[in-house]
Amino acid sequence: MSGEPIGIMGVGQTPYRRSNPELSAGELVKIAVDQALADAGVGMDAIGAVFGGVAPDALAGIKDIDRMSISVPGRPYLRFNTGGATGASVVAAALAWIGAGRADTVLAVALERMGQASTAQAVFNTIFDPIYEKDFVLTTITMAALRASMLVKRHGFTGQHWAGIASRNFTNAVDNPLVIGARARTPEQVLASPMLAWPIRRYEACPTTEGACALVISRAGAIPRSHPTSWIHGMGGSSDTYSMGERMNRLEGTLIEMVPLRRAAELAYRQAGISDPGREVQVFEIQAPFSIIEAMAYPALGLCEVAQSRPFVDRVLAGETGIEFNPSGGAQAANPVSATALIRIAEAAQQVRGRAGPHQRDGVRRAIATGQGGATQFSTVCVLGGDRP
Amino acid sequence: MTAPASAAELLLLPGNWNFDYTYFAGETASRFFAELRDSQRILGRRCPQCERLVVPARSYCDACYVVMGDWEPVGTAGTIEAFTIVTAAFPGLPEPPLVIAFVTLDGADSALLNFVEGVDLSDEDAAGSYLFEHDRVRVVFSKQREGRITDFHFESIPG
Repeated sequence: MSGEPIGIMGVGQTPYRRSNPELSAGELVKIAVDQALADAGVGMDAIGAVFGGVAPDALAGIKDIDRMSISVPGRPYLRFNTGGATGASVVAAALAWIGAGRADTVLAVALERMGQASTAQAVFNTIFDPIYEKDFVLTTITMAALRASMLVKRHGFTGQHWAGIASRNFTNAVDNPLVIGARARTPEQVLASPMLAWPIRRYEACPTTEGACALVISRAGAIPRSHPTSWIHGMGGSSDTYSMGERMNRLEGTLIEMVPLRRAAELAYRQAGISDPGREVQVFEIQAPFSIIEAMAYPALGLCEVAQSRPFVDRVLAGETGIEFNPSGGAQAANPVSATALIRIAEAAQQVRGRAGPHQRDGVRRAIATGQGGATQFSTVCVLGGDRP
Repeated sequence: MTAPASAAELLLLPGNWNFDYTYFAGETASRFFAELRDSQRILGRRCPQCERLVVPARSYCDACYVVMGDWEPVGTAGTIEAFTIVTAAFPGLPEPPLVIAFVTLDGADSALLNFVEGVDLSDEDAAGSYLFEHDRVRVVFSKQREGRITDFHFESIPG
């Protein structure tokens, strides 16, 4: 990154559970914000701007729910929505704001209130084109399942691969005290769960989750030397065509090559000076609400060639890569849609700060968090490091 | 905040969103649907820059960000690019089991989504294997056509 370094100096997260009827939306956000401010050692008076993220309002059933829960009087406020990538878009905007010299310290906040919806999948159906596509049962589950069939045909993946990834994520989540009700699951248990949309089973998909996450982000000059800080080494983002059908026959990559994630990774790696991510990065928090999305992300993140996708998953499942994937349990164990990409950044930041708690990994000097939203339309890659750039 | 109220005291207020909308398809999609309804033809438009024939028709190529050129019909048979067999029911969505697929019709450079019929869905794993081995489908037009994307579906071509 050029210019004055920027770091994450405070992290706040609520517990993640299906619903929180004992808390209003604002009360839920305040838990995360108060924690982030306390962790940063600053008060709300230090906050120069607030960046908020909420994806489809219809999940909460309150239009512009961020107005009642995230915006803070007396500060500039901007809200973002890039689906599951929302939380990372919030951070990208915060970095740009600080980089432009408009504030020393800002808040990046995201909220998911989907526990109020009677059915999330009918809401997700409304994100698709009503003219050409919406009639055909498109949901987040079927959009993932369509890709899964391509991956099976192209690379020979089997249910064992998806189940293995899911099992590791659910099992990791047991050590994350924020994932309420986390349960370790064996690959056999995943494969025994009901089929939702062939070849995707219930335990290859994320659960309905509410929660909020907040980060205090500052320019280096506003961070005390001794303060444990996770430095932003790189931040990349890119977008793709909305129509999934138009992403099938392309030179730059089909629906399953995650072209925007690859581009985001290239941008972020260039800024961070990373040439071999598999060796230079110890922890990846991948925003993959389905195990098949995680399998697609590996080559896009430069961890293997596209043609080596299946052998690489075999190596991941055998624990042969030396990389820690989703110590938190990832989006598969808890996926508060609007907040999930911010949570990935928060978790990666805590890993490099050595403050991840029971699921802290050893010797983490660099961690990567991804964001993924809008039927793989939006992707982000954030590189975090313990060393000040 | 005071101590949390007991679960019985927490207010849970029912609510719903139920608005009516009129979706505006625009001129290009409207012509696509008129051709579908009146001539049982599926048309795309070709991008003058990347030269892809995009089906269903769009007024502009968003990758190149230029206005599309000529209208061209495509074949009524095609190849499955991606499919899924929907097996779980969700409130407000069509009843399973159903097969949906993105199909590249012969001559097209993009895929369009529709239901696939003519597949035995009694065993989903067998149906999945069948669709990998039999990835060709043909377009079947409805007798009563309304100028909607549901005026046709795909049917698996055996053999």
